[in-house]
Amino acid sequence: MVDIQPTKGLLHLDLFAVWQHRELLYFLVWRDVLTRYKQTAIGAGWVILQPLITMIIFTVIFGNLARFPSEGIPYPVFAFTALLPWTYFSQALARTSGSVVGSTNLVTKIYFPRLLIPLSAAIAPVVDLIFSFAVLLVLMAWYRITPTWGMLALPFFIVLAIMTALAVGLWFAALNVKYRDVGSIMPFIIQIWMYGSPIAYPVSMVPQKWQLLYGLNPLVGVIEGFRWALLGKAFPDVAVMAVSSIVVVLLLFGGIVYFKKSEQTFADLI
Amino acid sequence: MSDIAIQAEKLSKRYTITPGSHRHDTLYHQLAETLKSPFRRDRREKEKDFWALQDISFEARKGEALGIIGHNGAGKSTLLKILSRITEPTSGRVRIYGRVGSLLEVGTGFHPELTGRENIFLNGAIIGMKREEIHRLFDAIVDFAEIEEFIDTPVKRYSSGMYVRLAFAVSAHLRPEILIIDEVLSVGDLQFQRKCTNYAEELQKSGSTILLVSHNMFSVKALCNRVLYLSHGKLLTDGSPEEVIPQFEKEGSSTSSSSSSEGDVSISITDVELFDESGKERAIFDFGERMRIRLHYTTPQVIHNPNFVVALIRSDDVACCNYSTALDGYSIPTLSGEGILEVITPPLKLVSEAYEVHVLVWDKDFQRPYCFQKGLRFHVRHHLFSTHFGVFHEDAEWSVPTGLLKINPGSSQEVCCHD
Repeated sequence: MVDIQPTKGLLHLDLFAVWQHRELLYFLVWRDVLTRYKQTAIGAGWVILQPLITMIIFTVIFGNLARFPSEGIPYPVFAFTALLPWTYFSQALARTSGSVVGSTNLVTKIYFPRLLIPLSAAIAPVVDLIFSFAVLLVLMAWYRITPTWGMLALPFFIVLAIMTALAVGLWFAALNVKYRDVGSIMPFIIQIWMYGSPIAYPVSMVPQKWQLLYGLNPLVGVIEGFRWALLGKAFPDVAVMAVSSIVVVLLLFGGIVYFKKSEQTFADLI
Repeated sequence: MSDIAIQAEKLSKRYTITPGSHRHDTLYHQLAETLKSPFRRDRREKEKDFWALQDISFEARKGEALGIIGHNGAGKSTLLKILSRITEPTSGRVRIYGRVGSLLEVGTGFHPELTGRENIFLNGAIIGMKREEIHRLFDAIVDFAEIEEFIDTPVKRYSSGMYVRLAFAVSAHLRPEILIIDEVLSVGDLQFQRKCTNYAEELQKSGSTILLVSHNMFSVKALCNRVLYLSHGKLLTDGSPEEVIPQFEKEGSSTSSSSSSEGDVSISITDVELFDESGKERAIFDFGERMRIRLHYTTPQVIHNPNFVVALIRSDDVACCNYSTALDGYSIPTLSGEGILEVITPPLKLVSEAYEVHVLVWDKDFQRPYCFQKGLRFHVRHHLFSTHFGVFHEDAEWSVPTGLLKINPGSSQEVCCHD
């Protein structure tokens, strides 16, 4: 029996419905992955090329010209390790933000938990992440860097990256339905976010007194975690990690509440 | 309680309309408005509430076919959207017992880059099938859609006919307990529409509940055993088609005449009746009997030289014959308001089967169809002639052409040899 009533209260999140529709989530992710590079010449090669080209640009500009420190790690590996979670994050954020508007034909025609739409958009680029991870391993072998046992902790940082993309993406996905301005703002947000994350430079370049504030950017924890897990750098500051995690959890919770609140009018506004 | 399919209690839906064409679609507008009138109350006053639905309560039982009728803006589509959970009611409650499917969703979520096979899985999952269920029904779906050889081709390479067939095949295998049809949105050619109707009828026979939103009173009558009449968001009447539809048509006649200025010609066949030669209403005719088909029409305007066509379509979609005013030399110079037209067929020599009467009204030169009504069923009865005998039967005369043989014995053989 299905009971249709106006949703009352902010905390009626109905996450169980998402669980019940997990098969559909699987199919939506599968569709995104499958259709991503159809009718492209290089196809899935882009998955590897995108971070690789960015890494080369970074190495030339920041590594060779600006001579940013890379904490004793060859700059290309240093940058590429951070570009893995960053490429995932920027992809996931951009796709999540546009996901609901991009699914107008679904939203106006059929019921399923709307959360599946941004959720699948945030999960699909993980497949890209896994492919570029293989490239990183090749790169590490080239520079004779042996991975550490910390690598086992990588899934935790990947989950943190997914949660971050989703936390921010949910807000924008819902806002986008009402205000299409989101589509225009997004590239700038992503650009600013990139410079605000320790991708081209090490965290140590940020003055000590700003470190905790810097940690408000959850990607700081994610990127530092990646470098620690793969390159054997010092474990990120526990306080910074804690701040990152708490921010993500709060943002995500708020994002779900806001999304659920807005979802009631998606079909009417879109 | 167990035979209830839908239970709606005091459903209401409010939309807020901002006067002027621009809604606060952009942040800029919203900010500008807020700066101009920083107090919320000011902005509120400019917005108007519009109740698309007000206090709708009804119950539908399993196996019932409910028609929902009403003029444009009466709230029919809003009601369907709430029942299919696309939008939420502002207040009230609906309980739905069973899986809901709709023909709105035919092809929803199809991705042009994916193959037919991939789209079957994707679309199936979207409309609510389990993966195991799609696996089980896969072959049946492909068979039904008749696209075996193209199953691994991206659907963007499909013809529109193949695309619709595949999409419909997936939807038709969902076999929902509650089927929602919005005819305003139904697309496709006549054959496809017929497929949809057959599907709905078949589902209903197996105990599913049907909700049909339609402007076509004839199809409401043909399919539904109960009708809800909505007007301005309120439920006006809930009753049998015989009592509700005349009420709707009476109230509609005054409003529809004003819309005729658009240059569109509108005529509708409001009823089709079948009689035998003596004027008795019948649904079963014996082979060789003549049939009197009476058409009731109504049009808000004056139509010049319309052509009426009555077609008899066998249940397997074979078009058996056509009677048309043009062919039979019957001319109708002008037509207006309500009226009746009758056609008496020649003796029906059709084989024993079920048939349907379809009525079409065309313009003078058969360039534009004004209206198409799919309709009433009747049976032709004969102890022997079935579809194995073909479409119709006329007695023929047999003989041995003795005279011909004597005069020119070799000629027929020669012709044979040359062929």
